Amino acid sequence: MRRLSICTTLALVAGVQVACTTNVVVEGSVPTPLIEKVPIRVGIYYSDSFKSYEHKEKLPEAGHYRIPLGEKNLMFFRNLTDALFLEVVELEEPRLAATQQEHLDAILIPEIVKYGFLVPAVSTLTFYEASIEYELTLTARDGGDIGSWKVVGYGKAEAAMFGGREAVGEATMQAIRDGGARIATEVSPEMIAKLASPSAPDAAPEEAAQ
Amino acid sequence: MSRLLLVLSLALAGCVSSRVEQNRESATGIASGEAIVVLGRASYNDRETEESFTDCIVDQLSGGSQAMRLIPQKEFKDSLYPWFEPRTAPNSASDLGELFAEPGVRARMDESKVRYLAWIDGDTVTVDRGGSMSCTLSTFGGGCFGMSYWEKDASYEAAIWDVQNLTVSGRISADATGTSYIAGLLIPIPIIARPGNAACKALAEQLREFIVGDG
Repeated sequence: MRRLSICTTLALVAGVQVACTTNVVVEGSVPTPLIEKVPIRVGIYYSDSFKSYEHKEKLPEAGHYRIPLGEKNLMFFRNLTDALFLEVVELEEPRLAATQQEHLDAILIPEIVKYGFLVPAVSTLTFYEASIEYELTLTARDGGDIGSWKVVGYGKAEAAMFGGREAVGEATMQAIRDGGARIATEVSPEMIAKLASPSAPDAAPEEAAQ
Repeated sequence: MSRLLLVLSLALAGCVSSRVEQNRESATGIASGEAIVVLGRASYNDRETEESFTDCIVDQLSGGSQAMRLIPQKEFKDSLYPWFEPRTAPNSASDLGELFAEPGVRARMDESKVRYLAWIDGDTVTVDRGGSMSCTLSTFGGGCFGMSYWEKDASYEAAIWDVQNLTVSGRISADATGTSYIAGLLIPIPIIARPGNAACKALAEQLREFIVGDG
């Protein structure tokens, strides 16, 4: 009887916690960037932690938040990298098979390092904010290091325009877009410069203009 | 019934005073099929143009007898991503030349027949508030007593860029101030002033005249 009452209490506590959790849906368009291509063919590896990244946080002022980011980031990065490189092949593991080594120039591994958000109850501002830190690692086909970049995307959404849940989702979407904009306008020229240096792997510069 | 609602809303609307100023730098005109994009100037500080304000400008310009062709801000930003994000958006009309050198940007702009970009900068802030009002509820009934007020100031500027000539065509500024009241006479009676709405209507009207009127 006692065990039953403990179980009932635990179930009730869990039920109340689930009911009080704000489940944020990250929605928004996934635009195709208008940018100069990095002249290489890459294999891209999305880790499970990237694909299913989820942020959970309890704010004393605003309750529990659950924000699944992985799916939208995956969608966004697929679109971004397709526009960024000559050719993109998704890899099952972070290395190239022998057959792929003949065809691909490098491996790109994006990771979400950190995510954070702020609500007006905490920041005392009139909008919700979100930031995402990405790490991009580019290695040559033989595993040699080409470069690594840390990129922080920031976004905000007006509190008056959205409800709390939608505003966090909108701010997160803006942060993903901002991160993508930095990758496209700041990281990709650095990639091109690194690949043009003598130690870079064999690239296909003649196809960059296509 | 609808007449009664209209009379009530007019009677309960607070007073707003507004002022519009215009500074023209070059002749304007727009051909049929050419479009305007109204963009809110975004920033990374704690103040930026409200999306509701740019939406209001778009609604005003795209309606009425002299409706203009407008491309929605989101659609425009998506089609030219990543060049009109808060971090990358051009700060001056002369930056457009540099932006057009990026692959595909000029072609995308021509494709959508964008002739003018109207950058809206500003916000609405509460500059004063005071008074007090309290409401009570008991078994014998309840009510509100007292009065509170707040004053809002809406200040916006539109910078109009000519995409064809890569120049600033001019600037229009609109300022509006209004005080709202809530008087508690058993029931709370709100008298709401909407300076943001007044600034939007004044700015949109002037913007339309500015672009069309000097053809």
